[in-house]
Amino acid sequence: MSQVFLPHTLEELWTIKQENPAALIMAGGTDLLVKIRDRKLPPAVILALENIAELRQIERQDGEICIGSMVTHQQLLDSPIIQTQLPVLHQAVAVLGSPPIRHMGTIGGNICTASPAGDTLPPLYVLNAGLELKNAAAGRLLPIQDFIQGPGQTLLGSNEILYKIRIPIPAPHSHGFYFKVGQRKALAIAICSMASLLQFAEDKRILEGRFAWGSTGPTVMRFPEVENTLIGEKLSPIILGRLGQSMAALVSPISDVRASAEYRRLLASKLPLKIWQSLI
Amino acid sequence: MTTYASPIGSSLKRVDGPGKISGLEKYAADYYPDNFLWAGAKRSDHPHALIKEIDISPVRNLPGIFAVLTHEDIKGANRVGVPEMDQPVLADRKVLYKGDPVALVLAENKTVLQEAIDKIVIKYEPLPAVFDPEAALAENAPLLHENRNDKNLLLGGRVVRGNSIAAMSECDAVAEADFQLPWQEHAYLETEAGVARVDEEGILAIIASTQTPWRDRNELAYALGWPLDKIRVIAPYLGGGFGGKDGITVQGLLGLAALHSGGRPVKMWNSREESFLSSTKRHPGRVHYELGCKKDGTLYAMNCRIVLDTGAYASLGGPVLALAMEHAAGVYRIPHALIEGFSVYTNNPVGGAFRGFGAPQVLAGLEQMMDILADKIAWDPLAFRLKNAVMRGDETGAGVWMSNSTAIIPCLEKLQEHPLWTSRQAWVSQAPPFKLRGVGIAAGLQGTGYGPMVADIANAKIELLPDGRFRIYSGVADMGQGNNPTNVQIAAEVLGQTADCFELIQPDTLQTLPSGSSAASRTTYSYGNALKAAALQLKERILTRACNMGMGLYAEDFLLSSGRLNHLPSGREIPLGLVAASMRPEERVSIYSYTAPVNRYPDKINPNIRAAGFPHRVFAFACHLARVQIDELTGEVEISDYLAATDAGKVLNPQLYEQQVQGGAVQGMGYALWEDFKLDRGELMTRNLATYILPTSMDVPDILSIAVESVEESGPFGMKGIGEIVINLALPAIANGIARAVGQHIFKSPLTAEQLLLILEKRAAE
Amino acid sequence: MKIAFELNGIKQEIDCLPDRRVVDLLREELGYTGTKEACGSGECGACTILVDGVSKLSCLMLAAQLQGRSITTIEGMSPGKKLHPIQQAFVDKGAVQCGFCSPGMLMATVDLLQRNPAPDRQQIRAALSGNLCRCTGYQKIIDAVESAAAEMRDKL
Repeated sequence: MSQVFLPHTLEELWTIKQENPAALIMAGGTDLLVKIRDRKLPPAVILALENIAELRQIERQDGEICIGSMVTHQQLLDSPIIQTQLPVLHQAVAVLGSPPIRHMGTIGGNICTASPAGDTLPPLYVLNAGLELKNAAAGRLLPIQDFIQGPGQTLLGSNEILYKIRIPIPAPHSHGFYFKVGQRKALAIAICSMASLLQFAEDKRILEGRFAWGSTGPTVMRFPEVENTLIGEKLSPIILGRLGQSMAALVSPISDVRASAEYRRLLASKLPLKIWQSLI
Repeated sequence: MTTYASPIGSSLKRVDGPGKISGLEKYAADYYPDNFLWAGAKRSDHPHALIKEIDISPVRNLPGIFAVLTHEDIKGANRVGVPEMDQPVLADRKVLYKGDPVALVLAENKTVLQEAIDKIVIKYEPLPAVFDPEAALAENAPLLHENRNDKNLLLGGRVVRGNSIAAMSECDAVAEADFQLPWQEHAYLETEAGVARVDEEGILAIIASTQTPWRDRNELAYALGWPLDKIRVIAPYLGGGFGGKDGITVQGLLGLAALHSGGRPVKMWNSREESFLSSTKRHPGRVHYELGCKKDGTLYAMNCRIVLDTGAYASLGGPVLALAMEHAAGVYRIPHALIEGFSVYTNNPVGGAFRGFGAPQVLAGLEQMMDILADKIAWDPLAFRLKNAVMRGDETGAGVWMSNSTAIIPCLEKLQEHPLWTSRQAWVSQAPPFKLRGVGIAAGLQGTGYGPMVADIANAKIELLPDGRFRIYSGVADMGQGNNPTNVQIAAEVLGQTADCFELIQPDTLQTLPSGSSAASRTTYSYGNALKAAALQLKERILTRACNMGMGLYAEDFLLSSGRLNHLPSGREIPLGLVAASMRPEERVSIYSYTAPVNRYPDKINPNIRAAGFPHRVFAFACHLARVQIDELTGEVEISDYLAATDAGKVLNPQLYEQQVQGGAVQGMGYALWEDFKLDRGELMTRNLATYILPTSMDVPDILSIAVESVEESGPFGMKGIGEIVINLALPAIANGIARAVGQHIFKSPLTAEQLLLILEKRAAE
Repeated sequence: MKIAFELNGIKQEIDCLPDRRVVDLLREELGYTGTKEACGSGECGACTILVDGVSKLSCLMLAAQLQGRSITTIEGMSPGKKLHPIQQAFVDKGAVQCGFCSPGMLMATVDLLQRNPAPDRQQIRAALSGNLCRCTGYQKIIDAVESAAAEMRDKL
């Protein structure tokens, strides 16, 4: 390691990046520094983004909510925009890590770490989030499901940073829900997590249902063909139970030190009923 | 500072609180002596292997490396361990588990220390390894410690009462089950740590996070070949112990390092991962029970077989087994019983002392058997326990006479009349959608002290200082249980002083007196008894000296209170400093040696088991109640309510008493539900706090504590030790609650959400 | 690397490796051993400090990140030896046993009460959920925070 840079502007960042092409980008440090300690990454020059104010904004514009990549989970929790407009994301950061982790960790870090257990990810998938990437020359926009390729693998270029997350504001009267099963109630990596975004018509029938699954495959997963079976239905334990069974057959969990594949799959079949439980 | 005049029975604020909460109190891990070197161990990556070659040449001359040591640098016996000295400071011929230290590096900083550790090359010849105690007992099992007559059996034996095989067939109801208990990691917040230095006179001084400073000194003298009178061990407040620092952890390596550091201080502080790798654990095991009763609810016969995995070295695997066997019949009269126990070596991590010391493992099984059997004869489980619970004068099914205070029945009665119990039917029936509810109880006991294994002696020393204040020379390390603050309370009571009149010196083999380990629920019982007597001696000497000085005619005319003596007939007030000034220094010091009473019966058990500490004499008792709510969609267990009724004799300090009950219960809840220590062929899978799950503040409820105050005449002011009884019953109480909610008992713990959901699914499918 | 920051109200200028962990810098170079380490990976909260008033984990911070910041450690809570009301509440309510988690718990509590001066017990449990304790079972810590919160509200 040794050198640590903390630029205040993007211009400074690009300069440093050019001179230190192998530098590791650090957001909140809660994943990166643990990986270095565990010797999963070799010590290297660190480029910390925390002083770049431009990356810390939450804005609403043109039907979108734009979240800077360095917005912390606590900022998301404290934001009235997030609480009212993106409750599914708000619920997720409320159960992410622990208070000091939320003060340090960022949405951009959670995305770029690309763990299938990342708590912000299933909500971002059901919200159809777009990711704005930037390098010194230009920017590009990628849907989150294209950006994340596998566990810890993204399409982030070696000279790029994640700049902003752009989320279309959900239709009025949408119902967002996030549920996570961990080994305990805090400081817990998700063993199985589910984000849902349901849109209802006046007669309570489902117009659209989106479900994203965490910790049950190499990336967060959605199953549009199963989602489509909800259209026109009214929410009920039977519908949700059936949905759970269908999705559970499609997820591909692994067994690891935290949980077996069997348990994760079983959880996937049950979690949709948590929506019902939350409503009664 | 507080000014309670009569501290015993009051919640005198712990005197160690302010120092700790201001960040000024120094733990062993907090010492950074000038010009110190870091010491770190290179550990085995084989569970069982011969050491063919240790090549330190790649690192010896690395910049920043001061020295690299192997067993060849050890002048002494290179063996530590109590009661059996079978563990090397640095492995010489073999390694016996993944974590066995082989080389020791001294370095200027941690970066170069780790680099050096990585670069040391050790050539091993792997040997067949064994990871299961039953397999280790088999005929052709690989031998860990060759030349032992008993091969891989560290200790085995039986306790026989009557004829349980025949008696079982006379029972009207019989239940049988096999329980699996896991390792448990102590996970104290302060990992093993210390500093050491050899001074110009050759005194090796060690400050360590240790529960056993005097024993450490003896072990170090033998292991390192250094004169006993040139070793000094100091035990500051520990950042937790729970048994994991009962004995040599880093002290051997520290001592060795200091003997080779050219007079520079050395420091060793295990990372959390290294603590997981190298520290002792609670013994995992299998406990098989067969329990039978008559239809009138009387327990009649019990067969119990206990197999404990003691890991690579003996540590306290013998005494833990003996205590497990002693507690295997719990708090019940059972006329016919057979208890067999085996403590077996394997190439797994070392099993050692951990709060409860064998009792949690057997009570986990027995207390679930009680519920299973109660159901078979359609008895209320609490009434079933009351029917069979011992009173003073009874013998338990393990043949242990309840000769001292025994208030388990009042504890059970407290539970029986409590709304959490009386309203259980209604509470269960009100379970919300997708939730199952159950209420479970468990009763048990814990012996105080060492039993007939080794003398339980404490030597108290208290001094009247020239300014009229007092100094207590603590003999027993305080790992958070508060025995040091309690010492102040005891001395304050006897001497009529307020707490601010006292200074405390922490255990220090140079300044204070040997008083046994901080363990076995004995720390206040033994040292407190010694201190009470020493303080009384000092008080008498002060009063007599006042007469001597012509202040009065009779000693009983004087009243000792804060900083002064009052002569009651005349009303005259004499500052204590004046009395102190009239004393020679040796008169101002009072020393008293206390030896705890030992149970000398029965002698009709295997002498090796007896020598390992069976049986005890003074017991604490408790019963716990857990109301659990299970999430049918996830398997997660929420403990909604928890009640503990405890008999630890008289309560010296209600706040401190509750600290123990609450803390012990939560550590027991961890053992019950979350702490799933995983190993794969000797390799740790749960190697840090990210994967070994401790309960957070969001996982556990408030705990209700009821103190049932028997009077233990042998204890200071009527108290008994409470440190361990508090952890013993969470697992069975919760397990019984879960069984009632789910409809079946679960025999493998911890009772994780995964296990529960898979069981619920299986039941739904049937 | 030269780093200038404020520590417990006192300006500091130090010269150290930029990637030195803040917990090590505090404990070793600066002698403030009140901030503890118990896991080194963000899982226990023993190393909690305040950075510009916000609770953070010093085992996951690098020295370079201190530049221009205002840091508070446990030692900064009671200048002049008189305990801060929260510290006094911890002492009075029996929230300190072995004490190794206590500084971290204290800093987490300061952060909580800045955000929410009247938390209920559940909110207190949530706020302390990043701080592990192995001795107390948490209950008396919750009691202490409740008591401190009430006292500090009364003083306003």
